Amino acid sequence: MATPFPSLAFFQALQQRTKEASDRFERLGYCDTTFGVRIGDRLFRVAFEVYECTAVGEGDGDEALDFVLAGSLETWIEMVRAIRENSGADAAHTLNTLTHIGDVIQVEYDDAEGYDKFFRYMASLQEFFDQARALDLELR
Amino acid sequence: MSYVAPKDYSQDAHIVEAATRRMAGDLDLDWMAIRGEPAAYGPRDPRRGLTLDDIDRGAYAAARLPEIVRHNFSMAPRGAILPEGLPSLGYTLNRKSEIWSDRAAALFEEGKSRHWAPSHAVPWATLDAIDPIDRGELARRQLATVLISAGLVASDVAARWEWHMNQEFHEVKYLLCVQMIDGARIAEAFRKRALYGSGSLGIDSPAVGELLKMIFESDTYPMASASMNLLLFSWVQALGRHFEFHATQAADGFLGTRLAQDASRFLAYGIDHVRGLITARPNEAEVLHEHLDLVENGLVGMLGASEVIEPLILLNGSLDVVVAFYARTANEYFTRCAAAGLPDRPARSPVPDFIRILRG
Repeated sequence: MATPFPSLAFFQALQQRTKEASDRFERLGYCDTTFGVRIGDRLFRVAFEVYECTAVGEGDGDEALDFVLAGSLETWIEMVRAIRENSGADAAHTLNTLTHIGDVIQVEYDDAEGYDKFFRYMASLQEFFDQARALDLELR
Repeated sequence: MSYVAPKDYSQDAHIVEAATRRMAGDLDLDWMAIRGEPAAYGPRDPRRGLTLDDIDRGAYAAARLPEIVRHNFSMAPRGAILPEGLPSLGYTLNRKSEIWSDRAAALFEEGKSRHWAPSHAVPWATLDAIDPIDRGELARRQLATVLISAGLVASDVAARWEWHMNQEFHEVKYLLCVQMIDGARIAEAFRKRALYGSGSLGIDSPAVGELLKMIFESDTYPMASASMNLLLFSWVQALGRHFEFHATQAADGFLGTRLAQDASRFLAYGIDHVRGLITARPNEAEVLHEHLDLVENGLVGMLGASEVIEPLILLNGSLDVVVAFYARTANEYFTRCAAAGLPDRPARSPVPDFIRILRG
């Protein structure tokens, strides 16, 4: 059965991919951050520790978020669709491109050090989202 | 003249006699009776392996260091037994607040864990399809030329100060060694980017050189750290993101992402180091402000230099986008300064006025 996007199940599936494709994440190095993904009005929380995603959740949690990637539902669907069509984000749909000039996706943060973790770990986070290529998804 | 030890060891009768005795099997083993504090440290998280933080405990812990180190000026590692007669290596950075960051050990480990090798990791062949005389390609190679200079000066700055730091602060010294490698890798990667295929280096910029010289010739290590880790690497990180943003093939996307990644570790150390210094010694804030007043003047020179702003205009298609990029990067830099305890930078800096002039 296809996993709906956006949903907590989608992020749980990506979390599982960090275990199944562990060699890809280990090659990229330590990744220690807890961040948010705001898709429309839904907030998902993602925690990374060492090499893998250790927790995902939906809604406001107790833990502080280093940064939140916030965009419209349409933007996120377009990004996930591009990842699936290209077997990984194409140049127009990388996390960096979408959050740089034009702010298609906003990076929200309270402190500078949390913000910089987005860039410190961007390669790992891109790989995390790129794992959507391996999922059977229903974009809605 | 090279340093000469005060004793002529080869003519010392005691040394010859003792060596002869030991060769006959008569061992003193005095050294074995005197040991540092026993330790039973192992990895707290097996996935990370044995980290510096895992062994930062007991008598070996950095937390036991005083603000001013007076007990050891030798090469002896922290926590070792210090016999009489150890030579001083003449360290001049002996105050913890001058160099310290609690994050140094973790950043050191992270830097090694996230290392990459430009020779093989970059998908260079994706550059084959690029027209070597396309204006955008010439612009990228010009920016690559600027980044080569910045990377090597970053290595130079870390190398210039590392050997002045007391051996008791080994976590920071290790981190600066990784900074040297990171700086060298920036230079290596962007030199290869500029020269791959039918490429070429661009033109060096006197204004970029002046900025880098101001950072390199900072009078103190805190000044060097603030101007390199906070200021320079705010712009290096931004240029990495910009390089990725304008990538038309995988090689530039890879290079931009990794440049931003590696630059962000300089930023993380710089923020925590400067914040710790100002917390411990608030008067240092004004010293750093005065230094940044001057270096940001040099930054204006770099941002306005034709060798920098014109390739950016070509890549972005208009000056307006470049100005927005400058404004955003300046704002991010000022936010980092505020986090480091320097919230007054925007009011003192010449950069906001320069951006206003560019806006017209």
